Amino acid sequence: MSQPTIRLDHSRSTDDDELDLAVTAAQTTTLRSRIVGIWLAPFGILALVAALLLYYTSLDLATANIQQRSALDWSTKLWPQTIEHLTIAFWATLLVIIVAVPLGILLTRPAFRGAAPWVLTVANSGQALPAYGLLILFLILLGQGTGTVIWALALYALLPVLRNTMVGLDQVDRATIEAGRGMGMTKRQALTRIELPLAVPVIIAGVRTATIINIGMATLAFLVGGGGLGITINSGLKLQQNEVLIVGAVMVAIVALTFDWLGAVAERYLKPRGL
Amino acid sequence: MSDRPMIHLDRVTKVYPGSTVPAVEQLTMDISQGEILVLVGPSGCGKSTTLRLINRMIEPSGGHIYFDGEDVTDVDPDLLRRRIGYVIQQIGLFPHHTIGENIATVPKMLGWDKKRITARVDELLDMVGLEPGQYRDRYPRELSGGQAQRIGVARALGADPAVMLMDEPFGAIDPITRDRLQNEFLRLQAELKKTIVFVTHDIDEAIKMGDRIAILGDRSVIRQIDTPERILAYPVDDFVDDFIGSGSTLKGLNFERVSSLDLSDYPTLVEGEDPQRGLQMLDDANREWLLLLDREHKPLRWLRRADVERGGRELRQRGQHIRAEVEPNATLHDTLEEMLNESTGICCVIDNRGRYQGVVEINDLTEVIRKLRAEAKEHYDALEATSV
Amino acid sequence: MDGLQSWFSYVFDRWDDILEATLQHARLVLIVVVAATVISVSLGIYIERRPTLRNAVLSIAGIFLTIPSLALFALFIPLVGIGNPPAIMALFLYSLLPILRNTVTGLDEVSPAIVESARGMGMNRRQQLVRVRLPLAWPVIMAGVRVSSLLVVGIAAIAVLVGGDGLGSFIQGGLTRLGLPGSVESVWVGTVFIVLLGLVLDIVFSVVQRFTSSPGLRI
Repeated sequence: MSQPTIRLDHSRSTDDDELDLAVTAAQTTTLRSRIVGIWLAPFGILALVAALLLYYTSLDLATANIQQRSALDWSTKLWPQTIEHLTIAFWATLLVIIVAVPLGILLTRPAFRGAAPWVLTVANSGQALPAYGLLILFLILLGQGTGTVIWALALYALLPVLRNTMVGLDQVDRATIEAGRGMGMTKRQALTRIELPLAVPVIIAGVRTATIINIGMATLAFLVGGGGLGITINSGLKLQQNEVLIVGAVMVAIVALTFDWLGAVAERYLKPRGL
Repeated sequence: MSDRPMIHLDRVTKVYPGSTVPAVEQLTMDISQGEILVLVGPSGCGKSTTLRLINRMIEPSGGHIYFDGEDVTDVDPDLLRRRIGYVIQQIGLFPHHTIGENIATVPKMLGWDKKRITARVDELLDMVGLEPGQYRDRYPRELSGGQAQRIGVARALGADPAVMLMDEPFGAIDPITRDRLQNEFLRLQAELKKTIVFVTHDIDEAIKMGDRIAILGDRSVIRQIDTPERILAYPVDDFVDDFIGSGSTLKGLNFERVSSLDLSDYPTLVEGEDPQRGLQMLDDANREWLLLLDREHKPLRWLRRADVERGGRELRQRGQHIRAEVEPNATLHDTLEEMLNESTGICCVIDNRGRYQGVVEINDLTEVIRKLRAEAKEHYDALEATSV
Repeated sequence: MDGLQSWFSYVFDRWDDILEATLQHARLVLIVVVAATVISVSLGIYIERRPTLRNAVLSIAGIFLTIPSLALFALFIPLVGIGNPPAIMALFLYSLLPILRNTVTGLDEVSPAIVESARGMGMNRRQQLVRVRLPLAWPVIMAGVRVSSLLVVGIAAIAVLVGGDGLGSFIQGGLTRLGLPGSVESVWVGTVFIVLLGLVLDIVFSVVQRFTSSPGLRI
């Protein structure tokens, strides 16, 4: 496992500034805090699932009114919605990766250096773009249905992933690439063997973000007839039934947290060794 | 000036938890008021640790630290540090403050009034050779490395502390600028007479800067602590000898001047005098070269017996041209340099009007070295005798 | 272009409503961002030198961002009812991470030599923090505040779905009246003005940053 990057001075002194200084001087990840990082999430998720199950069973649906019972039915409502939700998120993310990553690579090539800053500026200010607005605009454009949602989410998540890809490729040390070219690598080889592997952490971080965004925004799919767990949340809002609301919201949260954790694990394993 | 040392370390120890070997072991050391003590030693010997124990940037695990008689081992460290100037290698100027504000940091913390602070800032900028009007309101990012370290020194002197701690202050600077900064600093110290503890890994810097040098070994054990001359003349053991490295004898010659020598008689002939007398003196002294002086007793030429006996041109046009001449305040090191340029291997000594005073030969130098070594040995033998 | 022309006349006609909605939206964002800055910077200072706590807090703050917005908004309804309050609570949680992470990173990146010399001059911890470390970390912290505010501007569009106000109302209005005249323009107004508000806020914050940073720090 990893060792701290700097020898920490753990002296028990009256002036604990020493310790602080040693700690501050290194972005140290001690074994302990790394373990906390990776396993905090699954524990949290499992705790949440347990809490939800408890809550669900405590609701005593047999005696609840018909609307609540119907809204919370697992096989006709909750489970299908979860599947719809995941389908939308999956396709949207795939679309984003297929478009944003090659586009990012293209825009960081010398030929397009001029366009790059402009694109980045747009990508940065585009952070304020409301997904909600985008969704409705696509509704107007493409009509109702799951497809509409997928296209809208793909566009919404495009900018962050594009930005991350460009930044990730940019921050690869030029000297490393130079060394590769100096050894006789073609430009393409330098790209695939040096630049991309070294940019992978940042790109994957971007893809993770995109996945989470998409799962999140898929909650709004119900507005355009796209299904998803948003239906349950909305039912809860409309019926003014807090129980329905809570179940829907917590389920979405669980799905999102699970995928975030999977993304963290993927990031760890896809990262080139030595980074 | 009192007899009491300015800084007294009494069996100071530092052990880092988790480690069995102390980083600093039972260090006892005195630093007198107004002196520059240089701590020097190989990497890892703990010299920086020792320095930082003095202002308690690192807390001692044992022992006591005395500051002008006062035990400061347990006082509030922040207050202690405001009485000590601290200069580090990377300087650490605050980039978000102007140069003037940087220098004013400690005076401000001590509550000086504005007028006093402004005057002090200008005074210090002047002292380090940077024009106050020009530099006071600039920012650190506009400075070169040498200028930045000058400001670092000025900042440390801000509240006029009696003591300065300097941790390889000139280490990150190019050799030419470093040389200049060292000279300027020594000039400043001649004026200010601060008590300074200076850490370096460079023995030449130690020799140049220190009134006394402490050569530290593992665990900051003092291997030898003495004036540079004595250490160079008499390294007490192999460790010190190795650390000083080769050329120590040559370096030691920097500390002696021609004026300290007894210049012996040498065969000379004044122009116009009978050359036979000169030849006679040559034979009596059994020497090869005769020194020809003009009527004002200024050295003219080196002449062999054959040059004198041969007829022809005037005496002053025969023989060898004189290259090596030094005045009495020259160091023996420079004298040796001159000697090597002279084919006769003899260096003339002249006064400020150019008149002959005597000569220096290689024998004289080896004699000086021998004497210094003997004196140092005597000194150490006496020390051992009293401590036994 | 016909469409563009009709859009501009729509904007012109409804300018007062648009302005009001924009101000409501801005109010939401500013309340959230200011509160988040105060809490995040304080918290960031506290956890910066405590590694385990630091990782835990940053993870938790990150987790909030993964919870979908409508869901988080909805979760607060049982607690504070509908309207702006659940939106504000949820938006607050979203805006924590960028500022928190930047506070921690910003303080971390202050050169150790500078902190060492500050300490060596006799500054106590509080003085080191207030006079040296915070001012030097400030540009990074402000960058986090800007990211946060852009994030919040976009998400706040959904506030209307839980009964809140803001420019999202134009988007929702367009949705409910789909097919009727003015609905498309309404959605565009909502979307475009939210982006514009984001730009304006970003400019405002960068001006604030310029005025609160030392001239010595500008490259």
